[in-house]
Amino acid sequence: MDTLQTLFSLWEDTGFHNASLGNLLMILVGIVLVFLAIRYSYKPLLLIPLGMGVILGNIPFLHEAAYHTGIYQEGSVLNYLFFGVLKGIYPALIFLGLGAMTDLSPLISNPKLMLLGAAAQVGIFATFLGAMVLGFPMAESAAIAIIGGADGNTAIFLTSQLASGFHGSETGLAMQNLIGPIAIAAYIYMSLVPVIQPPIMKLLTTKKERLIRMKPPRTVSKFEKILFPLFGLLLSAFVAPASLPLLGMFFFGNILKESGLTKQLATTASTILIDIVLILIGLTVGASTQADVFLKWESILIFVLGAIAFMIATAGGVVFAKVMNLFLKKENRINPLVGAAGVAAVPDSAKIAHEMGLKEDPTNHLIGHAMAPNIAGLIGSAITAGLLLGFLL
Amino acid sequence: MKTLAITFDLSLIDHYTLVIAIAGYCIVLAALAFIAYFFTRLHSLQDFLTKRRMVVQESISKEQKSKVVMTGEENAAIAAALFLFFSELHDEEKYVMTIRKVSKTYSPWSSKIYGIWNTMKHW
Repeated sequence: MDTLQTLFSLWEDTGFHNASLGNLLMILVGIVLVFLAIRYSYKPLLLIPLGMGVILGNIPFLHEAAYHTGIYQEGSVLNYLFFGVLKGIYPALIFLGLGAMTDLSPLISNPKLMLLGAAAQVGIFATFLGAMVLGFPMAESAAIAIIGGADGNTAIFLTSQLASGFHGSETGLAMQNLIGPIAIAAYIYMSLVPVIQPPIMKLLTTKKERLIRMKPPRTVSKFEKILFPLFGLLLSAFVAPASLPLLGMFFFGNILKESGLTKQLATTASTILIDIVLILIGLTVGASTQADVFLKWESILIFVLGAIAFMIATAGGVVFAKVMNLFLKKENRINPLVGAAGVAAVPDSAKIAHEMGLKEDPTNHLIGHAMAPNIAGLIGSAITAGLLLGFLL
Repeated sequence: MKTLAITFDLSLIDHYTLVIAIAGYCIVLAALAFIAYFFTRLHSLQDFLTKRRMVVQESISKEQKSKVVMTGEENAAIAAALFLFFSELHDEEKYVMTIRKVSKTYSPWSSKIYGIWNTMKHW
């Protein structure tokens, strides 16, 4: 009898006994993500850890067991690693690495392109209103809307502060844990930039506009390169202090690079450190999509709203570039394709603008120009996240 | 899975929500526009300062040129010195010095110790 009971409890402990349809479905999703990354090279650095995380987080286990395995079970290894997501540590470290690897020269050489990065933030605010109309509480709406910024790290940072299941809303209702769906949506849309953006860009521009040649960027002095992060840090911190964990780290990383005296620190931040954090953030965010938390109708709505936010942001950048052209001299005109790079999917959206420009004119290289709104979009979405936090917390 | 209950209620957008959306967007736009304006002005200022520095340097060099006044005697002395210096040179002269080491192999036929005059001295 004892033997039978031991065998039965062993069976109860296995994944076969505890598996639910949701778990199996999510494991399939994880496998698809890994497949897409390996077969079609869709953002493999993101999708492979994410996909493996989804598989890991959905291995069925006995919730009442004495040992702790699940990411939401206190004391488990995954739970400790998830701490970096919940407290916004990983996004901040990724911003440090991004700062250390980003050359801000395109932005400094043509500062007016910064406005395109700001214009693309319209996607976030429009979707914020849209999510409110659909009945999401204000904090959750803000977290969903930030997908329009097209930066996974900013989305995770804001969601961890506003909708990680630990905060109350303005009406006293407990917020849902939306980190999983929002992060997955943000990362998937970032990898789908080549699919989502080109039709919108083509629809909103004429052939003549796509052929516009922009003035080559000027050389930037070292003084300007050092002044920019200092000035940017001070301004963004004063305007939106809540964005400090992201932009403070970003500009700090950039100073490490541009000072020319801390090369090894900049190299570590932009290579080894960012790689380690990417592994951890991908794996834990993936694992947070446990079927019982992730498989909700809200997740589908979040995916739809995220796509709308992304499309509005792209359109916002393109249209704003066209409006700017109305006021600029002929020699200073902007190719509106560059406006689409205002979403912060660095550097994918800049590459798309470049490739579309090349399709129209094989000698018109837009990448140097497109990087400017791309970086401005990254800075803009972090400021937006800081402002939303300031408004809502 | 819970049942889907999508609402579409425009009244959910209250005054506060609108303020967040509009003010938030305007602040982001203004912040980035301010950075853009600052760096555009900074570049203009740098250009202005560089041009001014160049103008100042040019005027200094012009002043220095105008200050150099040489008398005819001085010019003649310099010209004579140069003439004497260059006229002492050979037409073609290599400025590269080389030391070639010449080694001679020993031979009793050319020996000074066993030469005929040394032998005669002993007689």
